[in-house]
Amino acid sequence: MSGESASAIQKGQVDLLDFIDWSGVECLNQSSTHSLPNALKQGYREDDGLHLDSDADEQLLLYIPFTQVIKLHSILVKGPEEEGPKTVKLFSNKEHMGFSNVNDYPPSDMAVLTPDNLKGKPVLVKYVKFQNVRSLTIFIEDNQTGSEITQVQKIMLYGST
Amino acid sequence: MVLEATMICIDNSEWMRNGDYSPSRFQAQADAVNLICGAKTQSNPENTVGVLTMAGKGVRVLVTPTSDLGKILACMHGLEIGGDMNLAAGIQVAQLALKHRQNKKQQQRIIVFAGSPVKHEKKVLEMIGRKLKKNSVALDIVNFGEEDEGKTEKLEALLAAVNNNDTSHIVHVPAGTNALSDVLISTPIFTGNGEGGSGFAAAAAAAAAGGVSGFEFGVDPNLDPELALALRVSMEEERARQEAAAKKAAEEASKQEKGGEQQASSQDATMTERASASASEAETKTNDMMDDENALLQQALAMSMDDPAINQEAKDTDMSEAASDDPELALALQLSVADSSKDSSSQSDMSKLLADQSFVSSILASLPGVDPNDPSVKDLLASMQNQSEQKNDDKKPPSEEEKK
Repeated sequence: MSGESASAIQKGQVDLLDFIDWSGVECLNQSSTHSLPNALKQGYREDDGLHLDSDADEQLLLYIPFTQVIKLHSILVKGPEEEGPKTVKLFSNKEHMGFSNVNDYPPSDMAVLTPDNLKGKPVLVKYVKFQNVRSLTIFIEDNQTGSEITQVQKIMLYGST
Repeated sequence: MVLEATMICIDNSEWMRNGDYSPSRFQAQADAVNLICGAKTQSNPENTVGVLTMAGKGVRVLVTPTSDLGKILACMHGLEIGGDMNLAAGIQVAQLALKHRQNKKQQQRIIVFAGSPVKHEKKVLEMIGRKLKKNSVALDIVNFGEEDEGKTEKLEALLAAVNNNDTSHIVHVPAGTNALSDVLISTPIFTGNGEGGSGFAAAAAAAAAGGVSGFEFGVDPNLDPELALALRVSMEEERARQEAAAKKAAEEASKQEKGGEQQASSQDATMTERASASASEAETKTNDMMDDENALLQQALAMSMDDPAINQEAKDTDMSEAASDDPELALALQLSVADSSKDSSSQSDMSKLLADQSFVSSILASLPGVDPNDPSVKDLLASMQNQSEQKNDDKKPPSEEEKK
């Protein structure tokens, strides 16, 4: 995968994994057997067999706080062709959102993932909107084929501090 | 002790007038609600509980989630029966109330008392259940009162839709002599997912079982930990003392003077094993009275090591006091006194022998229950050695006096 071995996909950007505050990480509607650490944590995310699954329906709501303020540059979402996520909305610095109020706020950025993205091509976000990020909420609205369950194999966040 | 915000949905419909649960369905329900509120707030002081009614003019929130038990109990007063229960709306309003809880770190839970027939379709209930699961809200259902066809099935379907890793439960309470609250106490609704139960629930269960608590010594460790601990420690001490006395009796038969001396020190050793550091201190300071028995034994030992003539008068009174308390102790003390007064020359031989650490440790090793490698025993031996060396000078003139 391009750039991943160096863990700096573009000039000056680093993998923000080290800045994630794990005690506050939450994920709504995740399956109990296939949970968020499978997609986020070092080692787990490299294994394609370990993935994050949605539970009751195809939507997922991830809340990722950081230990310090970061700037988000791009995000990489890897998943299977069919059950992988399609519409992804990002919210910066909004705490404790639920599925009911997630559509009340305009997202800081939105991305419709293509199969290329699901294979490992990162999505560049609107950098200017993510200059001062204390926490990131990722709302996965639907998946590629409209299947009941959404699967995510890896989520990587790139940026700087 | 999980941090939780709970909304309790009460059924106050006309169906609750029925008296098949004593005194009436509504009253039984109210009692159960009071108990649940108490249990929740006790298991974690930061837990909050709220109450709403599902029937009457419409779904009405009586109190939003709060940790103030008084407020919750007060709002249960003056509730009126009437109307028809709206289960779906009740659960949805409860979910909304939980969403707006102050402490977002609390887990969300809804407890529903379903006493009247359920008029919603199974599909509707399943959708509600899935929505609850999606928002990670747990649901406890108390199925009581009316038993019409399909109600149980619908409620089970609702539970299946909500249940995520067994955090949600359903309890069926048939009408009968048992009060609703009593039946609920033993369920996971009270005991909180089988964590082991809060002290409140355990005590309540014990009380409900008829007053005789199943706890050791008749004291609930949750209610009074210090008392329970004190009782347990004194039980162990008594047992150990009896063991030592039994050992001593056995030893006396085989070894005479030496045996008696050793028993005093081994009894001392068993005591010190439990009352670790204090014993070695008491060894060097004979006036250390932290533990009466210990000190007396120390004195007995000191006497056998030191000069019997000097200490005898002072210690005799202490010994007689102790003797009245404990016949075995008296026996041990008498032996050591008898030994010391009998033959002072053999006394000094004895002390020399005792001072020989290898001999002592071999004797001690042969005694059951004494581990020569135990640090407290080692301390004992070391200080015994020191004392015997220190007081050698003192011994010689007094022992000469005594020989006269």
